[in-house]
Amino acid sequence: MTVWDTLPALAQDIALTALLLVPALLVGALVLRGYAPWTLVWAILRRFRGASALFVLLIAISVCMGIGLLAQERGLRRGTAQAADKFDLVISAPGSELSVMMAAVFLQPSDMPLLDGATYAEISTHDNVSIAAPLAFGDSFGPSPVIGTTADFARYLADGQIEGRMWQDTHEALVGALVDLHIGDGFEPAHGHGDAAEHDAHEGADLTVVGRLAPTGTPWDRAILLPIEAVWGVHGLANGHAPERADQLGPPFDPAYFPGTPAVVVRSEALWANYALRSEFTRDRDTMAFFPGAVLSQLYRVLGDIRQIMSLMALVTQTLVAAAVLLGLFILSRLFHRHIALLRALGAPARFVLAVVWSFGAVLLSAGAILGLCIGIGAATLLARVVTAQTDILVTAPLGWTEIHFLAGFVSVTLVLSLLPAAIILRQPIVPALRA
Amino acid sequence: MGLPLSITGLTVRASDGRVLLSLPELELPAGALVGIQGPSGAGKSTLLYALAGLLDAQGMIRWGDEDILRLLPGKRTRFRAENIGMIFQDFLLFEELDAEANAGLAAMFRPRRERGAVRARAAGWLDFLGLGRQAKDRSVASFSGGERQRTSIARAMATNAPVLLADEPTASLDRAAADALIEDLIAAARGAGTTLVAVSHDPALIARMDRVLNIVDGRATDNRASAA
Repeated sequence: MTVWDTLPALAQDIALTALLLVPALLVGALVLRGYAPWTLVWAILRRFRGASALFVLLIAISVCMGIGLLAQERGLRRGTAQAADKFDLVISAPGSELSVMMAAVFLQPSDMPLLDGATYAEISTHDNVSIAAPLAFGDSFGPSPVIGTTADFARYLADGQIEGRMWQDTHEALVGALVDLHIGDGFEPAHGHGDAAEHDAHEGADLTVVGRLAPTGTPWDRAILLPIEAVWGVHGLANGHAPERADQLGPPFDPAYFPGTPAVVVRSEALWANYALRSEFTRDRDTMAFFPGAVLSQLYRVLGDIRQIMSLMALVTQTLVAAAVLLGLFILSRLFHRHIALLRALGAPARFVLAVVWSFGAVLLSAGAILGLCIGIGAATLLARVVTAQTDILVTAPLGWTEIHFLAGFVSVTLVLSLLPAAIILRQPIVPALRA
Repeated sequence: MGLPLSITGLTVRASDGRVLLSLPELELPAGALVGIQGPSGAGKSTLLYALAGLLDAQGMIRWGDEDILRLLPGKRTRFRAENIGMIFQDFLLFEELDAEANAGLAAMFRPRRERGAVRARAAGWLDFLGLGRQAKDRSVASFSGGERQRTSIARAMATNAPVLLADEPTASLDRAAADALIEDLIAAARGAGTTLVAVSHDPALIARMDRVLNIVDGRATDNRASAA
């Protein structure tokens, strides 16, 4: 094990940032040693403030795009992972794991086969299962999907934090943190979603909001939760219980009166038990059990490949940007080439002239990088809000060390390379510039 | 005290080999004031830049004991920094800086031990040239042409250079400002014993020189002594 491996992650990140900046700092120290050309650099910047500002802005935009994309991608990854956090194991009829995950975790249901009552009973009565929540989809109220489930799952989803109280009959509902209904409000669910929703299909199914779940940062914040018996009831199905126990809410359900469920969210107290349950309920014809986290991981792996390609493209783009920056510096320095010639005519050493031109570029690059960093954070935050609003997956895109490393590398390489245009300017003949 | 100048077989050629300037011989004593005149394009400024060691040329240009054409680039730059002050027709100042910063420009790149002295001399020359009050008040962008040229004289004198090369120092000034500047320039050069070589079309400046060199078609065709 190397010393590097023994360092805490934060120390490694800080050390890597410092290492990435070392080339630029070394060049700066070598070029500026003994000189303080800042008065001249400031004078040149002020003289050509329009062109300098434009140049800073162009660098900022290029940096901002790189940083924003990196932060956004990580934020999306974290957000989706967090959304699946409460869904340890999902059991459904055999089919596409991705479709079931999209329905159960992200509330984007599609047509799915149902698990019957016997299968649900087997799951819910298993020794290792602490929660077995059947789900019922299909209805909505405005932009909110209406989901039928059990009280235990609703409590588990909100970590027990419910403003108001839990439902006590089939006419009561809980709302997610982002649902535009207040406790005490009444509503009537529509059948279906969006434009295709049938608003009169469940006429008379008056429901009252009795509680609000704490925010979860998942699409469930936009959902309205009902006792699953209520959903089954308004669709004219059996309510899961024998007639003599028709008023019961929640499990146990009677297999003979169980209308079926597309997915059961299962929770076990022990981690090992989840693996055992997945193995036990993975049956070719009957059931499919999977970890949504694992499905997401597969998805990330595919996205990871795309990310690698994008990273390569970003590297090529940044190289082009760096080349453009160097060319821009060279062109910008043409604006003050007479003053450079003056310094040389007055006997300024070559290194001092190099220091002036390099410092000018360093100020523009650093200002552009810092501005780009700020805009990048702002843009990523804004984009995260848009994604959150669109998907209800809580996406946050805070600045990460990846972006800091990316920026440090870009600034360092470009600062080292900006010696090139400075050196080229130094080789320009003095007299034609003085006569210009 | 100024440096004496000795030129032998000086030839400056263009990149295509054409002779831009030919000066077989010239001897100037230390502290001499020399005017160079001639039609435009004759090679006056070329001579000035050659004297500053800014052009590659054949022959010998000896300032004191040093033939600057034989010096390697780095040493030539150092020689220029220590011995030659330059004044330009359009001043070539850093417009955003004040007069004191412009006049003390060399303090930014001279050895650390000399920087304080350069700044002090710059302030002193600005005072001598009548710019003491506004030296720190405002940027030279707000200065008149005469004030700017005085600032550039102070910049040239601040390094205690024994040689002053001036390229059309009065060309951008009106008559009154030009006359005042001539007085100041002559007084500064005489006072410090500086060898002054000034390229000029201005008869008023030429008339104040110890010696005048005429250049036509790249050749020095006439030397005459004039009263100092």
